[in-house]
Amino acid sequence: MSQTATMDVRQAGRSASIVDVKGDVTANSEDVLMDAYNRASESGVRSIVLNFEGLDYMNSGGIGLLVTLLVRANRQRQQLFAYGLTDHYRQIFELTRLDEAVGIYDNERDALAAAGAR
Amino acid sequence: MATRTRSLRAIRRRKGAEPGAVVESASAPQSEQAPVDISPGDPLLAYLESAGGPVDLDSLELESPAKEELRSAGVQVVVPLVSQGELIGLLNLGPRLSEQEYSADDRKLLDTLAGQAAPAVRVAQLVREQEAEARERERVEQELKVATLIQQQFLPRELPDLPAWHIAAFYRPAREVGGDFYDFIELPEGKLGIVVGDVTDKGVPAALVMAMTQSLLGAEAPRLVSPSEVMERVNDLLVADMPPKMFVTCLYAVLDPSSGKLQYANAGHNVPYVATDDAVVEFRATGMPLGLLPGMKYEEKEGVLGPGDTILLHSDGLAEAHNGDREMFGFPRLMKHMEHRSTGEAVIDDLLKELDAFTGRDWEQEDDITLVTLQRSRHAPLFAEVLGARSSASSSQDGSPEKDRTLAEFEVASRPGNERTAMARITEAVEELDIPSARLERLKTAVAEATMNAIEHGNNNQADIPVGISAVVEGNDLVIRVTDQGGEKALAEVEQPDLEAKLAGEQKARGWGLFLIKNMVDEMNVDSDATLHTIELKFHLKGDGHGS
Repeated sequence: MSQTATMDVRQAGRSASIVDVKGDVTANSEDVLMDAYNRASESGVRSIVLNFEGLDYMNSGGIGLLVTLLVRANRQRQQLFAYGLTDHYRQIFELTRLDEAVGIYDNERDALAAAGAR
Repeated sequence: MATRTRSLRAIRRRKGAEPGAVVESASAPQSEQAPVDISPGDPLLAYLESAGGPVDLDSLELESPAKEELRSAGVQVVVPLVSQGELIGLLNLGPRLSEQEYSADDRKLLDTLAGQAAPAVRVAQLVREQEAEARERERVEQELKVATLIQQQFLPRELPDLPAWHIAAFYRPAREVGGDFYDFIELPEGKLGIVVGDVTDKGVPAALVMAMTQSLLGAEAPRLVSPSEVMERVNDLLVADMPPKMFVTCLYAVLDPSSGKLQYANAGHNVPYVATDDAVVEFRATGMPLGLLPGMKYEEKEGVLGPGDTILLHSDGLAEAHNGDREMFGFPRLMKHMEHRSTGEAVIDDLLKELDAFTGRDWEQEDDITLVTLQRSRHAPLFAEVLGARSSASSSQDGSPEKDRTLAEFEVASRPGNERTAMARITEAVEELDIPSARLERLKTAVAEATMNAIEHGNNNQADIPVGISAVVEGNDLVIRVTDQGGEKALAEVEQPDLEAKLAGEQKARGWGLFLIKNMVDEMNVDSDATLHTIELKFHLKGDGHGS
């Protein structure tokens, strides 16, 4: 069977939550990702930061899932940020123009700074 | 006491069961007497068992050959050793060295001694018996281990991987390992030899004959190919070295995977069953078991396994299994089971379940069970040939002087998540090409996406329909082809998915696959016919491919 992702949620100040994405992000990860998103949003933060340092594999299903997440976040007037992407997945974000809707940063500090948490 | 018994060979008598009790006597201290055989029917034994003390042979009035024999061996007094009413030995005494008669005191002393010695001797006997039994058990266990080891050594490590065929095998030895075996032999022109056999007898001798038979088959099959010729040759070679009363039943078949043609010869082994859509057919051919007589001829037959057909080759262990009521599982039941079994991977599992239900829980398997099935895929006629033809056709167009080099050719079942298997196998296969890591990452994503597309859209997640994947170096290109069986479905043109439209809910959130593939590779081609649909991914190995 395909591996799945685990996603822990950390609070980063009052305005941002960090979701630590580990493993595979595929169409199968929907429940895990949406559950993490709900937990990340509990405190009413404006910014959700996705940490992709532990990402093993993401496919088009996973990208579709991020689009769904983006739609939900937009509705909640939340902003998405991401860091820890390898060059390869960064290129895929650029290709799909996800980088225009999700702020991409090199590391957690930069991402949190952009998210207004620091 | 002057007379001593130098050795006491215990005798045990089970009425009429043992050939005879052996008694060693010593009439004189200097000479060791040969043991005296006492027939189990000799009246002396019955007399001694109830005598209740030392018996003077000279004054004993009894018609007994044993008595005479003992006397001639110099025995004068016999003291029976009786434990729990059973005569277990004799104390034999010659004349007193003082040449006086045995006194009443002597007799009393002997009686007391016998009374104390008997239980001790009995215990010693039991210990010795148990030790012998334990040694025997250990020897049997050891032999079982050796037999099992030989058997395992000769069973195939892995099953052949034939495109459009599903091959399964099951072997379970009985506790007392029998002589079952099976094997697959690679033959010229992509053909496959299939062997199922059974050596009469069990244990190490059977295992050794099995090993010998299999080695001969493995050596002769690729050379001769024709099943009847292989059988004739192996039979003649086996006859010379076969231990008496042993022989080998064996079925040997040669499969041409591309046409489904099966040639076979049978040396007295169980008849294979072929399940088709309409019926269960027996593939019969006559022939004597191997190793019995020289110069035997074997009938050769030919059959065809059509798409969806399954052939079952089997040893006695299954059909001849008995349940608690001594009823046999039987061939008719086995044949019946094969009805409506022309597809699916579960023939063996289902058969074993049915056997379990038939025999019940506490069944100890009587004989080895060997089952081999070959199933021809219903969905993939000539799948491999098509793939092969395509790759060779494209190379001739190139007019490239270099020969195409196939790095990988395999199938994955259409199950979600198997794209990772495909990705891993391709990554391994192209390792020698030293593709720069950024390009390799793109290649991996493209392969995974193409495979996912084939699994989900081409084959509709139907696990029994395979996705065919090949990686071939053609000139300066690495060409990866991913083939599914959704040929009739027109593939949507690759268009730029629009993130805004998706975000606005005007496009589905998904639908990035083909777009991604196209952007990961140097060239993407799609080829469809009535049944097959192939995505071809090209990567330039030299020069500057786009996006590198």
